Amino acid sequence: MSTRQAFGRIETDVLAAMGRPGLLFRAALAICALCFAGGLGLWLHQMIAGMGVAGIRHPVGWGVYITNFVFWVGIAHSGTLISAVLFLFRARFRSSFNRSAEAMTVIAVMTAGLYPLIHLGRSWLFYWLMPYPNQRLLWVNFRSPLVWDVFAISTYLIVSLVFFYVGLIPDLAALRRRFSGLRAGLYRLLSLGWLGTAAQWAHYNQLYLFLAALATPLVISVHSVVSWDFATSIVPGWHTTIFAPYFVAGAIFSGTAMVLTLSIPMRRILRLERHITVDHMESLAKILIFTSLIVTYAYIVEFAMAYYSGHLFETAHFRYRTFGDYRFMFYLMILGNTLLPLTLLWRRLRRHPGYLLAISLFIHVGMWCERFVIIVTALAREYDPYSWGTYSPSAVEIGITIGSFGMFFTLFLIFTKLLPVLSVTELKERAESPADPALEGRPGGTAA
Amino acid sequence: MIQRWELDDRPAFLARLEALRAQGVSPERIRVRTPVPVHEAEALLRVRQSPLRYFTLAGACAGLLLGFAFPILTVRSWPLITGGKPLISVPAFIVVAFALTILLGALASFFGFLLLARLPSPARIREPEEHADAFVIEVSPEDAGGGTNGGDGARPPLAPNGGGHA
Repeated sequence: MSTRQAFGRIETDVLAAMGRPGLLFRAALAICALCFAGGLGLWLHQMIAGMGVAGIRHPVGWGVYITNFVFWVGIAHSGTLISAVLFLFRARFRSSFNRSAEAMTVIAVMTAGLYPLIHLGRSWLFYWLMPYPNQRLLWVNFRSPLVWDVFAISTYLIVSLVFFYVGLIPDLAALRRRFSGLRAGLYRLLSLGWLGTAAQWAHYNQLYLFLAALATPLVISVHSVVSWDFATSIVPGWHTTIFAPYFVAGAIFSGTAMVLTLSIPMRRILRLERHITVDHMESLAKILIFTSLIVTYAYIVEFAMAYYSGHLFETAHFRYRTFGDYRFMFYLMILGNTLLPLTLLWRRLRRHPGYLLAISLFIHVGMWCERFVIIVTALAREYDPYSWGTYSPSAVEIGITIGSFGMFFTLFLIFTKLLPVLSVTELKERAESPADPALEGRPGGTAA
Repeated sequence: MIQRWELDDRPAFLARLEALRAQGVSPERIRVRTPVPVHEAEALLRVRQSPLRYFTLAGACAGLLLGFAFPILTVRSWPLITGGKPLISVPAFIVVAFALTILLGALASFFGFLLLARLPSPARIREPEEHADAFVIEVSPEDAGGGTNGGDGARPPLAPNGGGHA
C-alpha cells in the first residue's frame, strides 16, 4: 500500500467514527444529557432555596462539592500529560490517545470550574473571585490559595484549549474536503486556510514544541496549587508538605484511568481497533502501575509521619481515618488505588481491554473516595471535641454530582461526532515513518 | 508556466526536490504542500529556523513581570496586613507570577504562530487548496518573482546559481 493510500485509509477510518450516530450512541447521549439537565435543575433549586439543601454545615463546610472539584481537576490532568509530556519524551503511543485526552482535559476543567461556583451558594457573585478592586478599592488577597486557584485553573483551561485547537488545525484542513454543507464551512473556518507549506510546518512544529514545554510545568503546578488549598491550613491531615507531589501523582493516576474508561468503549463502538491497539493500552496500564505506586507510597508516608511525629492530633486523625465513621471510604480507596492496580503487574491482565476498563472504573471510585476521605475526615475531627461532627451528602449534592458526570459525558460524546477523535496528522506521520520497533514491529501489535 | 508534481510519498517527494535543487532551481521559486511535516525539505528549501521562539520569550517575560507587578502594586495601593505576613510576600506571589508566565508565553506563541504562518487567510478559507494527501511541488517560472512558499515571504536573496532551469 502506498503512503498516499495509507493516508486515505486513516482519514476514512477517522471519518467513519464521525459518521451518523447509531442507536446506542443516541441512547447514551440522551441519558447523559438527562443527568446533566437534572443536575442543572438541582443547582437552580439550591440557588433558590439556599445552601441549606446541601449537607455541608459546621464543622464540615467542604463536602462533596469540593471533593468533585478536586476529582475533576485530577481527571483533567492526564490530557496534558499524554499530550505534552509524552510528546516531549517522543513516546509514539501518544498519538492513539492524545486527541481524546486533550478533549477530556478541556471538558473536565470546565466541569471542575463549575464546582467552586456551585459551592459559593450565591453563584451569581462569582466575579468576586476575579482580581479587580471592590467598591472601596481593596484588591483580592493574593496570599490566599483560593486566589491562586483562580489563576492556576483559568490558565490551565486557556492553555489546554490552545493546545487542543493547535493540534486540530492540520487535521481539520485534511478533513474539510471530505464534508459538505455546514460542517465543511465550519472546518474550513476552523482550519484557518491551512496550506501545509514548508514554512507553515516549521512554525507549527516549533509552536507545538513550545506549547508542550509550557504545558508540562503547568500540569504539575495546577494540582500542586489545588493541594495547597488544603496544605497551607493547620488542619490535622491536611497540613503536610507531601501534598503537592501526592496530589499530582493522584491526578495523573485518575486521569490516565479516565483515558482508558473513555477510549476502550470508544475504540470498540467507533471501530478504531486498528489505531488504538492493545499495545497502546498496555503502555497506559504501565503509567497506571507507576502512579499507583507513588500514590501508595504517599499513603504510607502520611501514616508514617503521623506515627513518627508523635503529634497527638495528627495520630488521632489517622486513627479516625482508618477506624472512624468514614472507614469504608478509606478501605475502598485502598482497594481501588493500591491493591487492584497491582494486578496490572501481570502482563496478561494489563493486555485485556475488558479488565482494564473494569480496573479504571474501580480507580475512579478509589480516587473519588480518596478526596472525600482527605476533605471530610479532616474537617469532621479537628482539634476541639466540642466542634466535632459528621457529614453525609444530601440528595441535592448527590444529584448535582451525577449531573456533573452527565455534563462531562454529554460534552465528550458530542466531541466524538464533531471533531476527529484521533490525530489524523500524527497517525499519518506514524504510518509513514519507519515502523516503530517498540510497538508496531511486535506480534500482537495489531488490533485484538 | 508553473510546473507541478504531485507525489505519492516522502522519498519520491524528497528525490524530486533534490533533483530540482541540483538543477539549480532557486528555493524561492519552489513551493511545496505536504500532508505531514517533512523536516528534510526545510533544509533543501532553506527554510530558516522559525523566529517563533522570540514571541514565546517575550510573552513569558511579560507574564513574569506582570505576575509580580500586579500583586505588588495592588497590595501597595491599599496596604493591609493579612495573616501577619509582610505586605510584599514574594513566595506567595510566585504562584501568580508562574501562572501568568505560562499563560502569556503560550498566548504569545499562538498569536506569533498565526502571524508568522499568515493565518487565518480569508481567501484560503473561502477557497481552500486541496491536494488529497499528495506531496505537491510547484516551480514558478523564473521571472515570476517567487517567494510563494507561504507564510515566510521575507526570504533573503541566495544561491549564486539561483537561476537554473527546471
